[in-house]
Parts: sequence; C-alpha cells; structure tokens
Amino acid sequence: MQAEMISNIRFTTISPEMIKKMSVAKIIVPDTCNDEGYPIDGGLLDQRLGVIDPGLKCKTCGGRVKSCPGHFGHIELVRYTIHPEFAKAIYLLLDATCESCHRILLNQKQIDDIRPEIVEFVNAEDVLPDVSQMQPSSVQPAAQQPSNIQAAPEQQSKQSTDSRDKMAIIKKLKNVKKCPYCGTEQHKLKFERPTFFYMNGNKMKPDEIRDWLTKISNEDLALIGIDGTVTRPEWFIITDLLVPPVNIRPSITLESGERSEDDLTHKLLDIIRTNQRLEQDIDAGAPQIIIDDLWELLQYQVTTYFNNETPGVPVARHRSTRPLKTLAQRLKGKEGRLRYYLSGKRVNFSARTVVSPDNNISINEIGMPQKIAENLTIPLYVTKWNIETARGFMKRAEYPTITNYISKDGMKKRMSEINREELAAAIQPGDILERQLVDGDYVLFNRQPTLHRASIMAHRVRVLPGKTFRLHVCASEPYNADFDGDEMNVHVPQTIEAQAEARYLVDAEQQILSAKDGSPVIHATEDIITGVYMLTNDEAFFTKESATKLLSSVGITDLPKPNKNGMYKGTDIFSKIIPEEITIESKSGSNVLEIKNGKIIKGYVDKSAISGKGSLILEIFSTSGPRAARLFIDNMTKLAMVSTYMCGVTISLRDYYMPESVDKSRNDIISETVKNVNDIYTKYKEKKLELLPGYSRKKTYEVETFAMLDIAREKAERLLQKSISVDNNAMRMAVIGARGNIFSFVQTSMLLGQQAVSGSRPARGYTGRVLPYFPRNDKDPKSRGFIESGFVEGLDFIDYYMHAMGARYSSMNKSLTTAVSGYLYRRLSNAMQDFYVGDDGSVRDASNALVQTIYGGDGIDPIKEKMSKKK
Amino acid sequence: MSENKNNFRVAPGEAVGTIAAQSIGEPGTQMVLKAFHQAGVKSNLTVVGLPRIIELVDARKSPKEPLMRIWPQKSDLKKFEKVVELKRKLEEVKLRDVLEKSEENFKNASMSITLKKEKLENYSLTEREVYSRLSKLEGVEISNENHIITIKITKLRGVERSIRDMRVRFINIRNMAISGIEGIGKVTIDQTEDGSFYLVATSNNISGIIDIDGIDKDRIYCNDPFEVMRVFGIEAARNTILRELDDTIRTNGITVSVRHSGMVADTMTFYGNIKSIGRHGVIGSKNSVFARAAYEETVKHFINACVFGETDPLSGVAENILIGKQINVGTGVVRLGIKKEELKKISAKSSKKE
Repeated sequence: MQAEMISNIRFTTISPEMIKKMSVAKIIVPDTCNDEGYPIDGGLLDQRLGVIDPGLKCKTCGGRVKSCPGHFGHIELVRYTIHPEFAKAIYLLLDATCESCHRILLNQKQIDDIRPEIVEFVNAEDVLPDVSQMQPSSVQPAAQQPSNIQAAPEQQSKQSTDSRDKMAIIKKLKNVKKCPYCGTEQHKLKFERPTFFYMNGNKMKPDEIRDWLTKISNEDLALIGIDGTVTRPEWFIITDLLVPPVNIRPSITLESGERSEDDLTHKLLDIIRTNQRLEQDIDAGAPQIIIDDLWELLQYQVTTYFNNETPGVPVARHRSTRPLKTLAQRLKGKEGRLRYYLSGKRVNFSARTVVSPDNNISINEIGMPQKIAENLTIPLYVTKWNIETARGFMKRAEYPTITNYISKDGMKKRMSEINREELAAAIQPGDILERQLVDGDYVLFNRQPTLHRASIMAHRVRVLPGKTFRLHVCASEPYNADFDGDEMNVHVPQTIEAQAEARYLVDAEQQILSAKDGSPVIHATEDIITGVYMLTNDEAFFTKESATKLLSSVGITDLPKPNKNGMYKGTDIFSKIIPEEITIESKSGSNVLEIKNGKIIKGYVDKSAISGKGSLILEIFSTSGPRAARLFIDNMTKLAMVSTYMCGVTISLRDYYMPESVDKSRNDIISETVKNVNDIYTKYKEKKLELLPGYSRKKTYEVETFAMLDIAREKAERLLQKSISVDNNAMRMAVIGARGNIFSFVQTSMLLGQQAVSGSRPARGYTGRVLPYFPRNDKDPKSRGFIESGFVEGLDFIDYYMHAMGARYSSMNKSLTTAVSGYLYRRLSNAMQDFYVGDDGSVRDASNALVQTIYGGDGIDPIKEKMSKKK
Repeated sequence: MSENKNNFRVAPGEAVGTIAAQSIGEPGTQMVLKAFHQAGVKSNLTVVGLPRIIELVDARKSPKEPLMRIWPQKSDLKKFEKVVELKRKLEEVKLRDVLEKSEENFKNASMSITLKKEKLENYSLTEREVYSRLSKLEGVEISNENHIITIKITKLRGVERSIRDMRVRFINIRNMAISGIEGIGKVTIDQTEDGSFYLVATSNNISGIIDIDGIDKDRIYCNDPFEVMRVFGIEAARNTILRELDDTIRTNGITVSVRHSGMVADTMTFYGNIKSIGRHGVIGSKNSVFARAAYEETVKHFINACVFGETDPLSGVAENILIGKQINVGTGVVRLGIKKEELKKISAKSSKKE
C-alpha cells in the first residue's frame, strides 16, 4: 500500500542561490584522495558529499553507505560559462528581445493580439489532469462524468496548437530591425554551435549575455511561454556548478589496490583544475588573450561535462583514449538510465531453465523441478481460519515448508531447524509466512522475445522430477518455443490481486484464441495431427484391447458400440472426447468433416479441422468455454500419442523416389517451359512483346520470363498431387497438415525450380553472365538459375551455386527484416500503449482524449470476433 | 442472440492500443522486406510488405507508388468503349510521347517538330488536335508546313535570350500535356471478376479528375491518405490508411483483425490531421515529458521541459512504469471508491464485533 503517490512532476531550472543552498560543500581541491586513500576535505570525494566506503560516516547526515543518499556540493566558477544544452533557448531569447532595452520585440498591438491565448494557455495547464477524480475519496455521480471527459481533450488540443502558433511568432522576431520601445537598431545576432554568440561579428562574453537575460522582464517571458517565477533565463548561464554526490559517481578499487575514478569525477577534476588556473592568471594580471583562452577551455570542459557528444566539439577522452561517458550519455539511448534502468525493471521470485516437452500435463500446467519449487515462495497470510494449516506447514522439515516468517510488525526471520518449532507456536493472525511453491499455484511463464501478450501466460505448477521446465507441446506455439535448448522464465505473482489476475485473466486456457484475429494459437501440431488422423480415418478400426488402451489414456471407462466384427471405429473413440453440444461441418480439400452432437458422422480430423476456420477448438471454446477447450486439447494429445504408438507413420527416402511416369511428365513440363521461355525471347527480339505498364522492354521480358519459369514449379505441384496418392506417407503428412508441404515435396523429388535473388533471376557476376561457364547473354534458363533437378537427384555445381545465391539472399533478408520490424513495433507500441477501453466502450488515451467512440466500430473483442461472426 | 452479443464485447480497461501494436508488430517479421512486383500480375502495382506499412505509418507526404482506381459511372460499368473513351479523356499524353523528331534552332529561337503517325494513332489523336493545343501556348508563334510544326519563341521571361533559357522552354514544351489531365500519368484499364471495367492511374491527383464527366465520384479510390484528406477530409483519410494497412497485411498472407489496423489509423488521425507514428508525430506530441524522453531524443525533451517549466501529469503507461506507480490500463484503471459515511458505518460495525 502506498501512503503517498506522486501526482505530477514539474521540470524547472535551478537558480545559483538555490545551488548554494543545496550545496553542502564548496569544492576547491582538484583531487580526490590523499596518499592513505582517505578523501581530501574540499576535494571531489569530500565526505560531506556522502560516502561510498563501507565503514566511513557521512559528515552531513551521519549515515553510512546504505543509509546516506548523498548530498550535492558546488564549484564556484571564476568566469561564467554557458550551459551548452540551453544555448538554443538563449539564442531564441536574445533574438526575441531588444539589445539595448531588453524588451520583447513585439509592439503593444501584437502583444494584445496574442495575450488572450496566453492567458488561456496558462489556465489550461492549471486544470489539466484532475487527479482528484481518480482518488477514492471523491466518488462522483455518474451523470457528471461525461462532461469532464469531453472537456479534457479540447483543452489539450488547444494548448498544443497555441504553443505552436506562438513559437512561430517568436521565431519571426529574428527579422525585426528596430525595437518598438526604445527605437534601437537591432544588430545581426549569430549563434555558432555549441556555445558561441556573435553580435555584429563581435564575440559576446557569457557575462554580457547573462546581463542581457537578467533584464528581460517576467511579463515579456510569459509571452514567449516561459514562467519567470519558476525559470529565469539568466540561470541558463552557469555561475556555480552543482557537483553531484559521490554516490552517483562511485570510484572503484582495482585488484592492484589502485583507485579508479568515475568518468564524471574525471571531468569535474578537469573543470576545477581549469577554473583554478584561470583564477590564478586573473589574480596575477595575465594578458587578456591568455585569460580568454583559459575561459574558452573552461567552457569546453563544462560543455563536455554535460554532453560529450555535443556536435562541433571534440570528444573528451579518458587516458586510455576511450570517450568519457558524461551526463547526457548516462541518460540517453537503449543502455541509458531511462530505457535500461527506469523502464526496465528487475525482479525477485523468478526462475529460469531449459524447457522440454511433456504431453502428459495439461496445456495450462508447467512441470517445475523440485529444486526451483523449493526456492520460489509465495506469501501465506495467516488468518484465524487457516492458522492450523499454516502451523502444519511450518512444522514440516522438508519440502513443502515455510522458508520465512514475517511478523505483523514487519520483522523478517528465516526459518531453520532451530527456530522452527518455536516460531510455529508463536504465529498469530496477521503474520505473513513465505511458503514454497506447491502443485496448483499459478506462475507466469515467459519466453523472450516477448512479441505479443501470449508470450507471457499463467500456468499451474506441477512439481516434477528433473531439472527442466516441462511444457505441453501444444502450448509452445504462442511462445514460439522449441525444445532444442530454449530457456524460459517463471515469475511468481506475490500479491493476492496478482494471483487472481494470473488465474482468471492470464491463464493459458484463456489465451487459446489469439488476440490478433481470434484463431486458435494453442493447438495440435505434427505428431498429434498424425495420431488423430490415424485414429479417425475411414480404415481405422480397433480391437477391444486397443480401444480400451486408447480411451483409458484419457480416463474414459465406457467403450463406444462395436461394429459387427466386434471392432471399434476410430471416429467413435475420438468422438468420446468431443463435448456433446458440438455440431460442425468443416471442409478441407476433399475431406468433409461432419460432427453432430459431439459425434463424428463423416470424414476424418486433420489440421484444419482442429485449428482452422470454424474448427473444433474454436467451436468448443465458444460453446463450451475455455476449460472444455483446454481439456479437449489435452485429451486429443493423449489419444493421439497412444494412436501413433499403435499405428505409427514413418517416411523414408523411398517415398521421395518418383515412378517413371511422373519423371517423364516432369521432363515434359520442363521442356514445355523452356519452349515457352524461348517464345518470349523471340517475341522480345522481334519487339512484339506487350509491355507491362511502367516497364521497359527489357524489364518486361525479364518479368515475363521469371513468371514463366516460376510457373513450372506450380505445374509440377499439380502433377504431383494428381499422381501420388496419400498412401505415400510423406504425401499423407503434407495433406493432413502434420509436417511438410507439397511445395517442398516437389523441390525434393521433382525440380527445385527457378532461384530468385531480389525477386528476379540471378543477374550479377561476370559481364553478361552469372558464371563463366556460359556464353554471354545465354538464353538457356539454366544460366540464370533455373534448376531442373530436385534434391533427391542432386544438384550439379552450377545449380548448387545458383541455389546458394538464393539462399544467401533470403538469409540476409530475414535478419534485416527483424531489425526493421522490431523498430516498427517499438514505434507502434510507444504511440498506442496508453489506449484503453473506457466504461462506455470508447477508446481513450492517457489524457482522456477520445480515440474511438466505440472500440473497433462495434465494441467487439477481436478474440471473440470469429465466434461472434458465426453466431 | 442479443444476450450473446454482450459476451463478445471487449472488456472495459482492455489495453487495446498495446494489443493492436503487438498484433501488427508480431507478424512483421514474416512480411517481405523488399517490395517486388507480383510477377504475372499486370495491374495493381503497389509497394507491398513492410516498406509499405512503414510508409503509411511514417505519414510520408507522397507514396512511392501512387495509385488511383477510377470507376466509370454506374451505367457504363460494363461498356468497354465508354471506358476506353474515359481513358482517352484522362490519360496524360505529353508532346514528346508523339514526337518523331525535334530540332532546336537557337539562332532564331525556334524548334521544329515532326509527329509520328503511329504514336498519334495509339492515343487516337490527330495532328490538328496537337496543333490547336500548341497554338494556345503563350509567347510563341506557331506555323505548320508539310507536317513540320515550327514553334518560335517570341517572348522569353529573361531579358537575355540565353541558350539555357531557350532550352528550358523547349524542354517544357516537349513535356507539355497535349491531351488528358496533367499529372495523371499512364492510365490502364482493368476488369473485376464480375466483368466491370475500371481505370488504374499511377498518380495521386483526385482533385484533378473529380470533376470529369462519366466518373463515379463516390467510388474514386486513392492510396495516398494525404490526397484523400485534401479532397474528402480526415475521416476518409482514416479509412484510406485502414484499408491500405489491411490490404498490405493481407497480401502478405497474414490475418490480422481490422480492429488493429483501425486502431493504428485512428491513432494517426484522431488529432484532426494525419500524424506520423514516431518522434515527430504522435509520440512527439505526447503530454508526458518522461514518455517522450524514454522514446527518443532524451536530452532534448528534458531541456525543453526545463526551459518552459513543463509539468508531467503522469497519466500514461511509460511514465508510471518509470516512477513505479500502477499503470492506468487494464485492471489498473479500476478504482475502488467508498463514501466517507459508509466507511464510518463499517468501522463502527467492526469495532462492535471486537
């Protein structure tokens, strides 16, 4: 429970006075430690700034390493420097104000024109988020709410347009020649990155600029959009430099006993050193040139202290020539403070190990090694109702037991053999015990990359022997996991709310349908489909013994009716696991599957019947609910496993040898294709080719030829489908969707076909040819990557080369696509992550602005989209 | 049925934005990176795959491959001749498309051209038509002798008659449209499955063709959201983005619910103009300083926030994760409320028990 919450955060700049007030130490010594390794007073590791050495005490707050948060110090700069990051803002202000009277270069009329907008601008900001509306204490009547919701986006849009218009006006002030108040001619002002300003060709000193900025009135600043009471522009010039506490720039002691300072400390040392030299030179009355040089050096040191990647400034380097990581670098980018440490959270109560398959557990279970279950804990809140159970747990010496005891007043004690009995006797309602995981606890299971929400699902714990997480094969698809060494993570939800959410919202059985389009993502693959097919095809009959074996695997004890011969039909066995209320008709290829009241009447069950459009899983999920769908998948898997053991399927190389007749027709297809290609070539030569829109003659020829050669493979596909029956096991598995497809069957046993690089035939290499084994501009398809043989027959060295070209291209393409689509996803998610559906079905963003009046136009959940269409 | 319908409703609080982003981002890896033209398909030459999605989401001012589908009015849908006539009306033919040869004479600032008969026939134009079109030009004298048309420049914008100026003028004349609508480019005829004809133009110029007779004004389709916005307004542009996204995803063989592409389209358009999904668009105009800084250009956002004394209202997801507060989507939007009087009753009750 949070006692206080941050409601909003305001960003401002700090005044020199404030810096002095904040500062606990004025840093004057350009050094860190003395010879004994003890911090020097007034040095950069001054003990008033906090402590990093265990054993030392902070001189400001008396805290030790863990309790002292660190304190700021300051460096008094003898000459002002410009804060490099604010240089642009300074330029804007100098340009917008008069050089002699420092008033804004707008006449009274112009000011009157924009003032109303500004008043509105300021007001809008005041009322922006009405946080109180969300506080529990102020429950508002429902009728009042719509008006609030509508008002917010209006204000928001106005604010953004106003500030934009205003900036346009301010930017134009650059061209004003004469001050409307004092009449002074405005000289040309030039800004040179990063921190140099020139007035009429003469360099402006930071103290001149500071004087100028000081004289700009708060009223004029308000016109530019700056609130002078909060941020004064003269604070953009550094007079006193804030020195961060040592805690954020800790030094490390190397093995050799040598101390190594943080980059920031190094940079601060440079600043102090330069500052000191400058002071000495000024006191000694050195010539102006030398002072100016040193001043510029100080400016450089300060610039790189803030941002070591400032454009136009040489990078400050460490002794080892490594560029220093200064303030801006600490915040920026993927490894910066914001994205790496603040948006990325680290957790306790998590575990990680290799995953392996286990089809005997449910899809929403996870097999967990006992070692992990012993280490992960879940809080057990002692109440007067469960105190005896809790005590029982506590007294146990072995798993499952209690590992930690947290008393009512927050005292934590580790349970051990010595204090076990004693603590067990002492517990009372209100205490919290940390209990080891047991069967049935819900944990979150995750595999990276976490591309969609089904990459994190809740599973019930099943403690199993072994050292790997066990995952049901059907549940591996949403995680995109395979079992070749993949590792996955487990997180244990700790609060009761989190456990409830895991159980009722994140549970794997709730995620059977995808949020993408409402199709099943947890479904059967490969062997399971083969098994189901072996069970449900027309010739599948089983003896009583086999039928009993099959059904007992799913815990069904009554047999279906046998036929005349005392045999049991496979479909009847399979029908036993389909809920009675299911009636569907699904078509795939030549197979029509008809199920009436949970009984298969016609057809066999293949992949599309299990997980395709209008499929069993979808139907069971929508009529009988997620639990029934889960049990169906579990049972189907078990049945299929038994049936594959009984009547397994195997393939061998022989399956890929084609009969002579097929070989002959294949040769016909190839020669026909070659002839067609030659026809296109003659047409091209005779300039009779009909041009494709937007294409040159040559390009048209290429495209048409490529298309023609590509078609050869399609023809072969049709031929194969016609001439090879499903008795061929490779073919059968392709047809029912278990493994492989007809396309790769063709490539294996008939012809590999046209290879493609960048979507067209390979073309690069030598002048007019890809390989030197061909004449120039050869029109033989083989010379441009048409492969007439399949993998069984084998490739010759030319084919091999062409194939490698295509393979290299697609491999490169794949790795590039992941980078591009990864960035696309980051952008989409950053743009839309605040959107949620309101109570009224509308979609709102973070500022309550209306994105959609009703989600998706009809308020229907995409998960249930397919279900709703059917009804 | 009506009872069932409520079962399909999306739950209040559902983080539909994130779901949409994931639904489009997750299959992104399966899409083609480079745009090829579908071999053998003669029409609908559009950029496909990831580049097209990025083009849409970036809100680029003009698409790489603009396209318009123009339908004839309903009565002419199946009449091929009418459609051909319409095509002639629209298709842009430049002077240089029908030239046999052209000679430039800088001495007397003239250019003589001969027209190629076959090419004229191709576009069903006559020499006379070309001549009359040319005679409407300003600042030139035109004469026709023996099928040689001579164009003499009488007035040049510059004071000097430099050869450069003359060349520019001649090139402009050769690039002039002598028939059709300027900027419309090539137009091809296509046919739907049910036999209706329509025209496909590789340009994005709705305003140029919308007033032409014989066109079904309600059915003009353009793949450029900006052009659609200029002519039909923001809602139409929203639908264009939705449709283009959906088509692109579908041609990659991926099924994604339209709700998700619709969410992206609405994100880009609900401000009233088309904003890109990126640092210069939707993300760059977020209310929260932290959300912007965590995305890109971290330092810039913090510095500007300091200069203008901005306040982060901490209402979005990113900033609440950053500071460690509960986020405002999903189950996080649910708040419990209790009236103070009720609270007193409860505490009275519980104290009585004890």
